[in-house]
Amino acid sequence: MRSANRSDGRDGLPAFFWAAAPFVVLILLWQLVVELFDVSPLVFPSVPAVLRAGLDGLADGSLAAHVGASLLRVATGTALAVLVAVPLGMAMGTQRGIAAFFTPLLRFFSVLAGIAWIPIATLWFGYGFGAIVFVIFNAVFFVVTYNTVLGVSTIPIELRRAAASLGAARLAIVREVLLPGALPNIVTGIRTGLGFAWRGLIAAEMIATSTGLGYMLFLARDFYRTEVIVLGMILVGAIWLALDRLLLAPLERRTIERWGLVRPT
Amino acid sequence: MKELVVENLSKVYFDPRLGERVTALDGVSLRITPGEFVAVAGPSGCGKTTLLNLIAGFLEPTSGRILLDGREIDGPGPDRGVVFQSYALFPWKTVLENVAFGPRMRGLPRAECEARARRWLELVGLGHVANRYPRELSGGMQQRVGVVRALANEPEILLMDEPFAAVDAQTRMTLQEELARIFEERRPTIFFITHDVNEAVFLADRVLVLSKGRLREEIPVPIPRPRRWAALVENDSFKALVGRVLQAVRTA
Repeated sequence: MRSANRSDGRDGLPAFFWAAAPFVVLILLWQLVVELFDVSPLVFPSVPAVLRAGLDGLADGSLAAHVGASLLRVATGTALAVLVAVPLGMAMGTQRGIAAFFTPLLRFFSVLAGIAWIPIATLWFGYGFGAIVFVIFNAVFFVVTYNTVLGVSTIPIELRRAAASLGAARLAIVREVLLPGALPNIVTGIRTGLGFAWRGLIAAEMIATSTGLGYMLFLARDFYRTEVIVLGMILVGAIWLALDRLLLAPLERRTIERWGLVRPT
Repeated sequence: MKELVVENLSKVYFDPRLGERVTALDGVSLRITPGEFVAVAGPSGCGKTTLLNLIAGFLEPTSGRILLDGREIDGPGPDRGVVFQSYALFPWKTVLENVAFGPRMRGLPRAECEARARRWLELVGLGHVANRYPRELSGGMQQRVGVVRALANEPEILLMDEPFAAVDAQTRMTLQEELARIFEERRPTIFFITHDVNEAVFLADRVLVLSKGRLREEIPVPIPRPRRWAALVENDSFKALVGRVLQAVRTA
């Protein structure tokens, strides 16, 4: 029993332990180096200094405000992108003409997705919420569109034909066949897109706003607050990992289990 | 009553692999009267699936017409139920939801759709899997659901495209007998495509032999119903008819 447990003990608590262990080692090493070489806090902070910065931020509410602002932008930009990308992907996946028109455009603009839009976004929307949401939108939109097209194209033609010959009209086929059939791909697209969006967000916030994690990082540099910079970097990574592992990955897995196609033999 | 009439039907399409135009169907005419079971037999590539896809409205003819009850068909519709070789069940719907799909698309109240679906599932002994998903069922059971899904929508004609080709031989015979039983009890109109000559003779009132896009021969099957394999395998007139169809398929 016990040895069997050890051999496949990569789920539950053991899995978490194995994932956390390298970080614990890294943190210990970090503190050791800072103490051994007496590193100046202007170059790199000590572990306690970062912890203190985190506690201070929690106490005065600034940390929650920055994280909240960042998450709200990501959520808004992603929601808008999905609302536009899924219908466009559906249309492209079913209408050859629409696909032929949009595919080259999407290829071109997907290269630009992300921070390349910041200059023009700030001209259009000013510094703040609008510009950053626009950057997020661009990061998510193209990959979700692409994945929706991919998802629709994986649906066997027989399923659409079956629905049509059972009396489903065009819209009903979209709702009952194309959308559920493409859903696993759409969710994968959202997960990938959010990864791009999160990276883009931090960059955009350094330039185009006065709240958010990216801004917090960039502002701290002006005051040589290395402990705040490192705290921000840790948060950027940790929040994404938590979001991806605890929310997106389970959602993707469940979608594939529930809606995933099992191909006819 | 609604009669299916196919008049001088042709289908030519461009095959990108061969780089040339291919004639899949060449002037096919036929007539199926209500309550009749017609099978089309022929080797692969003879155009039989194209013929079914045209009648189903999945493809458009190059020339000729298809009339159901005197009206020319225009695209797929619930008056022509289709059973696919690949079953084509919606994997994200339960068995019950699959069977209730057609009635629901016609706007019937949900409770009534489900009651009807349940009745049909009971009829083929699938009541106990109503809440399972298709992937949890064997191939034979999935195709039973496929047949019942088409029948529950009460089509004028049932189009079956090699429906039992993907299941094992044992299950295939069971499914054939079940279909024969349903046909004997309810007399739906059935248009059945197969490359299996035994299957065609066992099930049909009439076997049409198709080859290279043309109808070559029409062979009536005057074997009385009910038909069961146990009685027919050694039956001389059955064997003679199979021989006749087989010869027609091979010489056509």
